Parts: sequence; C-alpha cells; structure tokens
Amino acid sequence: MEILKTKPGIHKSRGGLIRSFVNIENGRIKDITISGDFFLFPEEAIFKILENLKGTSANREELLKNIEDTYEKENIQSPGTAPSDFTESIMKALEA
Amino acid sequence: MKEWRFIDFGLVDIRDMMAMDEAILKGDEGDTFFFWTPKKSIILGFFQKAEVELDLPKCKDYIITRRISGGGIAFSDDRCRQINYGVVGTIDNDLFPLDIIESYKQVCGVLIDTLVHYGLNAAFRPINDVTVDNKKISGNAQTRREGKLLQNGTLLLDFDIEEMLRISNIPKEKFLDKKIASIREGLTWLDRELGEQLDMEEVKNVMKDKFEERFHVKLKTGTLSNKEKELTKSLLPKYYSTEWVYR
Repeated sequence: MEILKTKPGIHKSRGGLIRSFVNIENGRIKDITISGDFFLFPEEAIFKILENLKGTSANREELLKNIEDTYEKENIQSPGTAPSDFTESIMKALEA
Repeated sequence: MKEWRFIDFGLVDIRDMMAMDEAILKGDEGDTFFFWTPKKSIILGFFQKAEVELDLPKCKDYIITRRISGGGIAFSDDRCRQINYGVVGTIDNDLFPLDIIESYKQVCGVLIDTLVHYGLNAAFRPINDVTVDNKKISGNAQTRREGKLLQNGTLLLDFDIEEMLRISNIPKEKFLDKKIASIREGLTWLDRELGEQLDMEEVKNVMKDKFEERFHVKLKTGTLSNKEKELTKSLLPKYYSTEWVYR
C-alpha cells in the first residue's frame, strides 16, 4: 500500500492519535494501515484488527462491530482509545 | 528491605539499548530499575509508521529504531541531556497495579517526586505524561508480558523542539483537544524550568532515592545476567533491521 499517496483519516482519542490509510474496492475494505501513538495491549493484536477489517463493508456499523469482535477475541485493552475511535479514524479516511 | 537491581547503561546506541530493554523484560532477573541516555536518535512507538510520522529525508543522520511498546516518538538530539529510565517489575496490585493507567501513575510518581524535589509543580497527566505547570516534561510507555511490566520513559533536561518539529510530520489534530496553541508551549524541560543546568548524575541520584522511597526497596548496582546477555544478542538483529523499523 502506497501510504504517502493515500489521504489519511486522522482522529485523536484520549489515548493518542490514530492515522488510518484505507483502500476501498466495491464498497469493501481492500487494504488498511494504521499509524499512531496510542497504546494497545497485547500490541501484536493490532495486526489481527487490520487483518479482520479486510473485506468488511465500509460503513460505520460494520466497522465498529468488526473491531469490537476482535477486541473481544483477542482480549484487547487500549486505555483512552476505544473501537469507536478506530472506527472514527477509518470513517474520516473514507471521507477524505 | 527488598533489594532491586540497578543498572546505569550510560550513553548508548538506542538499538543496543532496546535489545537490552526487551531482554530484561523477558529474562530471568526481574525487578530492575535502569537508566540510559540515548545518542542522537529516534525511537518509533510500536504502532507508528516511520514514513507517516517522520520526514525521512531529514532524518538521515539519526539512528532510528522501534520499541515493543506503544506511544509516540522518543526523540533525542545531540545535546544528550535526557535521562531515560526503565522499570521491570511484577504486576501484583501492590507495587504495580493491574489497572494500566494506575500502574503508569505509580511509576511516573518517581519522576513527579524528583521534580517536586526541585521545587516544580509536577503532576501526572493520564495516560502517560508527566507535566510541570501543565507542560509535558516526560513521556512514558509501558508494555506487559507474562505478569511483568516494562515501563520506559524520559526526563528531559534539555530539548531541541525546533529540531523535533523539523524532522516530524505532526498533524495539528494532535494538540487540538489539549487546548494548547502550539507544541512549543506544550513541552518543557528541566534546564528551562530551573534556569540552570543541573548535573545529570545528581538528578539520577535523586531519582534513585525517590524510587527507593516510593517502592520501599533498596537499589543495588548490578549487571545483565548471562541469560539476558544471550537474549540481547539474539534480539539485536531485529532492532537493526529494516523489516522491524520500516514495517
């Protein structure tokens, strides 16, 4: 994914800044990358979040549900940052 | 009184230090408080992408690596007036609470006690900052593994803000909700607050004292164990690799 040619969605949660870079194909997420200074435990679970988002319909409800599911499965904790913050950042990327 | 190991690694290449940092977390010794001062370098947080966060063509004379904990860039200029610390301890709800923010607060207390010792109005600002008069003077990052926590952080004695702004791609959103007009007004450092240059070794000694007082332990100077040295050796290639730093 050519990040620097993609417009980021930028959202600031209490726990940090989330910059999302998203490619869409036929209304679904084809590719997604996130960069930010937030905290998330266990750290490696971010890759699960990104992997699971691929193929998801690019609408707020689906994205939020998808991220919440990964949070539950992977026992994710992210002080000051919620699944809705990641969703907001992605939505901003889609609108960018 | 319980003894804790203490190590001062001195002025270090940050790639070597991050390998030792991870080795202490994963090693066999446990409870350790340690210091280092980074040579001119940039450490990315676990979730940060180098090309997004940094103006890379301007970073050519910086050592760049990534750490295993989240949070933001740790930037070190060639003034080398930063005290970086690490704590590895057991999460036990006594010294180090299970609650992440509470445990940050506990370790950051050492920095606050140190700053108060110098007469400054220091406070903890969740999630992971220590401030003086609401200006950030210390950033901290924690990770956890198998019941242990590793917290790293920095205490700025001097800091080249202009240089940090020159090399980073900081979007305006970062500071909007903190109601800070500019990053320049949001950061500070000890030399500026005190109007004099303290001896770094003296400040480290105050931090050690405050650590002992806060955690009711006795710090005893030690070294890495053989297992930690072996672990460090096996971790070094990662911290020097393009795959890890620019992934």
